[in-house]
Amino acid sequence: MGESITFWVLAVVSVIAALGLVFSRRAVYSALMLGVVMLSLAVLYAVQDAPFLAAVQIIVYTGAVMMLFLFVLMLVGVDSSDSLVETIRGQRFWAIVAGLGFAALLGLGIGNTLIAAPKGLAVANQNGNVPSLAELIFTRHVFAFEVTSALLITAALGAMVLAHRERTEPKPTQRDLSRARFVEFGRHGKNPAPLPGPGTYARHNAIDMPALLPDGTVSPLSVNRVIARHEAEEGTLAPEVAQILQQEEEGK
Amino acid sequence: MNGTIQAPTIEYALLAPMLVVFGAAIVGVLVEAFAPRYLRSAIHVPLTLLSLAGAFALTIWQAAAKGIPTKAAAMGAVAVDGPALFIWGTILVLAFVSVLLIKGEDHFVAAASAVPGSAEEEQALHEGAAHSEIYPLVLFAVGGMLLFPAANDLLVAFVALEVMSLPLYLLCGLARRRRLLSQEAAVKYFLLGAFSSAFFLYGTALLYGYAGSIDLAKISTAVGSVGGQDTLLYIGAAMLGVGLLFKIGAAPFQAWKPDVYQGAPTPITALMASGTLVAAFGALVRVFWVGLGGLDWDWRPVLYGVAILTMVVGAVLAITQTDIKRMLAYSSIAHGGFLLVGVIATGKAAAQNASALSGILFYLVAYGFTTVGAFAVVTMVRDAGGEAWHLSRWAGLGKRSPLLAGIFAFFLLAFAGIPLTSGFFGKYAVFQAAVSGGALPLVIVGVVASAVAAFFYVRVIVLMFFSDPAADGPSIVLPSRGTAAVVGLAVLATVVLGVYPQPVLDLAHSAAQSLFVR
Amino acid sequence: MELYVPILVLAVLAAGFAVFSVGIAPFTGPKRWNRAKLDAYECGIEPTPQPVGGGRFPLKYMITAMLFIVFDIEIIFLYPWAVAFDKLGVFGLVEMVLFIVTVLVAYAYVWRRRGLDWD
Repeated sequence: MGESITFWVLAVVSVIAALGLVFSRRAVYSALMLGVVMLSLAVLYAVQDAPFLAAVQIIVYTGAVMMLFLFVLMLVGVDSSDSLVETIRGQRFWAIVAGLGFAALLGLGIGNTLIAAPKGLAVANQNGNVPSLAELIFTRHVFAFEVTSALLITAALGAMVLAHRERTEPKPTQRDLSRARFVEFGRHGKNPAPLPGPGTYARHNAIDMPALLPDGTVSPLSVNRVIARHEAEEGTLAPEVAQILQQEEEGK
Repeated sequence: MNGTIQAPTIEYALLAPMLVVFGAAIVGVLVEAFAPRYLRSAIHVPLTLLSLAGAFALTIWQAAAKGIPTKAAAMGAVAVDGPALFIWGTILVLAFVSVLLIKGEDHFVAAASAVPGSAEEEQALHEGAAHSEIYPLVLFAVGGMLLFPAANDLLVAFVALEVMSLPLYLLCGLARRRRLLSQEAAVKYFLLGAFSSAFFLYGTALLYGYAGSIDLAKISTAVGSVGGQDTLLYIGAAMLGVGLLFKIGAAPFQAWKPDVYQGAPTPITALMASGTLVAAFGALVRVFWVGLGGLDWDWRPVLYGVAILTMVVGAVLAITQTDIKRMLAYSSIAHGGFLLVGVIATGKAAAQNASALSGILFYLVAYGFTTVGAFAVVTMVRDAGGEAWHLSRWAGLGKRSPLLAGIFAFFLLAFAGIPLTSGFFGKYAVFQAAVSGGALPLVIVGVVASAVAAFFYVRVIVLMFFSDPAADGPSIVLPSRGTAAVVGLAVLATVVLGVYPQPVLDLAHSAAQSLFVR
Repeated sequence: MELYVPILVLAVLAAGFAVFSVGIAPFTGPKRWNRAKLDAYECGIEPTPQPVGGGRFPLKYMITAMLFIVFDIEIIFLYPWAVAFDKLGVFGLVEMVLFIVTVLVAYAYVWRRRGLDWD
């Protein structure tokens, strides 16, 4: 009973998500839809007495593979659109043919399982699903398991070789950076200190509130230019700030 | 939920060659991590060479002193039998030679992460930066190559396939010159390779569905006894076949080979053309004979067609190539076809099987050495921008450097299978097995394809010796000791196997005699 | 099914906490309008106009992503090992330690070559 309720709920959710995956115009939405499909699958596995598969589905697919998908999307730019010009002639037609063929194949495969009752599950899960798997991994397939670590090392090595840029000069220390700031100050008069905070007489410490100097005037250094620009557009710019900006404009 | 699981038995001595290679690779990564930059290469080269030599010695010791085991090792995961030991020895020697080539000259990029042609790349080059990660990567690939032909179940075979391929995908993209081509080669190889691995994995899953096991031996017994699931069996076997045929570059799955061979750094091309081919053939033969032997009435006609197509495609398309590495790649495709003839030349009789298998083994040794030698020569003919890849640049090489051109011509003749070269006896052994196995039409196609192939080999030879050298022709670099040793060794192997092949033939025969363990 | 009851309980607890926190906030906090509060929070840096589509990641993230995947995959082996730990005995422990140490070699490499440094 619980199983069929879960199934019918998740069937609707995952089919809608899968359709959303295909038809959504934004790649990120598609990726998130894929995440929904994967999670539904994981729950379905769990309902089907396959807790290990469910855990792997969540840890590896939803956790890692999905993350890689999103990562690649971000890497190429979220809204970079693909060229829709088809370079292979008749691509669409053959894609549809292949899709239908695959659907037929799947249908036949599933039809087979409907005709014959599944067998062997009870034997395989005799000692519990996960412990039985552990027994297989650590006895019969222990060699394959250990060799897998070579694969993981290669993956890390590959990422480093292809993506890591070796630093050729030593990393600048705090001391170097500080020295450079004061050299800049000496040469060009650039303020070496951080920009001032809200100031002694300020009534707010929010970022759009300029700091007040001890004489009550606004410190020009503390004016947030981005917000000031917004405020100028909306006409809510405080007069003393506007005055400072204007003075600067004239000073240039 | 009670009782303990008994610890598995693992025959460490039997697996020692592989363990040595993997261990050295891990030590190599540690060297990368902890040794200062100027020391790395100085540690890597002896470490890599010593581990390969040590693994080879262990293989010989196993075969000679301890006898050939009759049971699969590591709980039935790895079959260290006669053919596997022979293939291990071959791969280890070829890998050793390829590593000599790798260390020879600057074939590899200084900083792979820099954009090709950027100032950063220039700077890295100027500072003499280098990716010494190449050595552990090569060792991982070799470890995978050792495991692949010895895999006794499909899961180990898949893991081995990946361990072998992943470092190679990476190494393909590290050529110093013609960076974009190299990166393109890496991406193509990776995508197509991942695709073919997926086929292999689906095939494994379907065969598991059919036989209830992924052990080759159990699949073999299931082929005769399980009924009503033939669809699973056929689709699974076909998908497995696609994955394996892709790795050996048989038509119609050969498209990656020219692009990848052309773009990869030449020493890596040499490693792929020799080691990967040997490993993939070992695995192919094992899967088809041990696992799907009972199905041979079904796969034999398919492989028949594939072999013919492969030989024809390789030989005919090679004629149209103008890039020397692409030409060698197509030649490698054609040789894959010749080797497939040997796979088909099996029969029900054990003697027939042994003769076909020994033919394949000998062919693999002969071809492996010659191809490494040929690629070593390619590294030595240089233009200003790297290797002189265009065939027209090779015109008149015989007049500028008779020795090098002569050696290259000799290798080409060996590819063509002219008597007194190793290639002749290789083809002879395979074709003879095929004739006695009743595959005469295939042999005729093979001979015709050989003749076509001989045409373009001779064309290159004519180009080298009977055309005038260009005024600004390529220069022949003085080979480093490593490269010179590689070329010398390859010449020696090609001559000895061509003039006095008996010892190696005997060795191949005695390795094949025991057939595969089941 | 009863295997998943703890997970369900945890899920309900987590969801309840999230809903409660978000739901209670409008009633308890003071509300003073300020433009800066509505701005995107960027760790004290002046919010700059977003590049179209959110901009790109530097390739540096790739190393982090790959390391994450490596250790993520390690987890799927740790899970059955941990469940069957009592039955596996010393051999299982040795094999797992060997596996983890081998994978840690990759970590040591990335760490020593400053793959984990941010700039």
